Amino acid sequence: MKRILMLAVAGLILVSGISFAGGGQEAASDSTRILLYLNGTRGDQSFFDSASRGIEIVSQQFDVETRIVEGGYDSSAWQPDLAQLAGGGWDIIIAGTWQLAEYVQDLAVQYPETTFIVYDTSVDYSAGDFSNVYSILYSQNEGSFIVGALAGMLTASDLDRARSGNTIGFIGGMDIPVINDFRVGFEQGARQVNPNVRILAAYVGNFNDPARGKELALAQIEQGADVIFAAAGESGLGALEAAGEQNVFSIGVDSDQYMLLRDSQPNIAAAVVTSMLKNVDNSVVYAIERYLDGTLAIGQAELLGIREDGVGIARNENFERIVPQAMIDELDRLIEMIDAGEIVVDTAIGQ
Amino acid sequence: MTSLLDSIFSVEFLFAVLRVSTPLIFPALGVAITAMSGNINIGLEGIMLIAAFTGVIVSIYTESLMLALLAGVASGIFFGAALGYFHLKLKADIILAAVALNFLASGLTIFLLIVITGGRNTSALRSLTFPSFSIPLLRSIPILGPVLSGHNIMTYVAFLSVLVYYIVMFKTPLGLRIRAVGQNPDAARSVGIDVDRVKLYALMISGVFGALGGLYLSMGYVSWFSRDMVAGRGFIAVAAATMGSNLSLGTLLGSMLFGLVNTLTIYIASLDIPSDLVQSIPYLATVIVLAVYSARNFAPRKRRAAHRRRQRAQAHGKDT
Repeated sequence: MKRILMLAVAGLILVSGISFAGGGQEAASDSTRILLYLNGTRGDQSFFDSASRGIEIVSQQFDVETRIVEGGYDSSAWQPDLAQLAGGGWDIIIAGTWQLAEYVQDLAVQYPETTFIVYDTSVDYSAGDFSNVYSILYSQNEGSFIVGALAGMLTASDLDRARSGNTIGFIGGMDIPVINDFRVGFEQGARQVNPNVRILAAYVGNFNDPARGKELALAQIEQGADVIFAAAGESGLGALEAAGEQNVFSIGVDSDQYMLLRDSQPNIAAAVVTSMLKNVDNSVVYAIERYLDGTLAIGQAELLGIREDGVGIARNENFERIVPQAMIDELDRLIEMIDAGEIVVDTAIGQ
Repeated sequence: MTSLLDSIFSVEFLFAVLRVSTPLIFPALGVAITAMSGNINIGLEGIMLIAAFTGVIVSIYTESLMLALLAGVASGIFFGAALGYFHLKLKADIILAAVALNFLASGLTIFLLIVITGGRNTSALRSLTFPSFSIPLLRSIPILGPVLSGHNIMTYVAFLSVLVYYIVMFKTPLGLRIRAVGQNPDAARSVGIDVDRVKLYALMISGVFGALGGLYLSMGYVSWFSRDMVAGRGFIAVAAATMGSNLSLGTLLGSMLFGLVNTLTIYIASLDIPSDLVQSIPYLATVIVLAVYSARNFAPRKRRAAHRRRQRAQAHGKDT
């Protein structure tokens, strides 16, 4: 009985192995074959959902063949997964976040025929010949500029949650260039509309301590801040909770944190006036479009800002409810000015 | 600057010190009781994390705060006992076993979180929380009232736990046995005490304290579980308990010193001081306090030793 079972299992493995290999070789059609590998799963309502949405748009708009592989959260599986998929004869393999950059570097050399696209990170172009890798970086400083401007206007307003201190707060995960890029943009945006605004900035020291994030936000609120912008991962969630409890405004990051919290934590969500978004979906479409045109700058890292729709702000129901039309108009005006190059947002990267 | 000083000497600041100290007092007591039994327990970090997770999950599925509390504490006892099993029964080094426990806790909670939520964002799970508690009479006392009243109920439990620790340690036979085993296991064994059993009890009680600390983090401080949210508090607790010589009041003061320094760094974090410097203040404080502490301890010991030598010399002199 046991032996039969073993045989059956062995047979199954064999068959599935063949079908998998077969699946990798069906490159008969002329259409471009695009693979998106997620080092996580869909349903995160953030990066991975956004990337998948981009792929779905691409597959509707263009004559391409697409596939999305969910790698799950076991980091030890990502490298072998990618290595196996890379042998599948794909034209384009998209893999995001800094955690995969190193694996892509190895595979890009092994598979020079395949184009690799990484998002929210860049391969180290000085470390080798990566003429088949296109890296997408997001100008978080530009997005932060816009939410900073909103914060500067909110704190000076007489809206419900605004207080009289003309003070806003920034909470970062760590004192590192990418987080400081959020900070300089935020500060510049706030001063653009409100030159006298007082800006408190603090760092949690990590991305996984919501209790400390909350405590930092409470201290800033105590010192008069009435808008808190948190770029601190899970630690930042604690800051959002503090803002919800103390009845001031908060601004989320990366994905639309109002939508994320609306059902499970309504009182935290109510304070989240907007979020600074990294539009992974738009950037994927942007890259594929140019790839098909033959104009994609493969072999380089490209910074996608407001103009390219790489970053933006969440305009959800809560945003519409809280923010007066005059402020929205002002934000649109600032976005246009950045678009036109009339405002150049400072950066903390590469300095 | 003046506004900062104002806010540091404010009621809110002192209130925050108690809030920040709470998740340190619990594990520090856990460290203290195992230290009294002769073991160093660096596994509180993992025990807190597991209890924080268990509490959130049970509260969501049962909608009962009481069951969540019980399940969290049970998970703490279980992993305290597991540590005891590895160390006492299988003779594994307790430091290594605790390191393994911490890694297990980190991985296991993330894994189960993904299984249970299907990989959705962690904040999608809203936990029940322990209520805040305002003490009617205390409230009306000026300054002291607003500082002491209105805390999460777990903060009061933390202070009560210090009392419980004192009573267990110094007023019960179990406490006496724990201290005997810690100070001289051979002597304890010679009077018929089952040393391993007593050490196991100490680890299990430390699991209770650690669990309460973890539950406070995910069900009081915030209202969800997120990966590795204990963020080193289980290790700081080791320093806090050591500073307090594992005695009840000392451990409380040690934890509160860390709470105070941490709150201070939170309040000065928004000044234009390099953040790396600010974040190193708690650790600098540890080093300084431990140095002062050991210097103070070292001096009398040297005197005592010299005194003993003199006595011996005198006794010797009489003999001859």
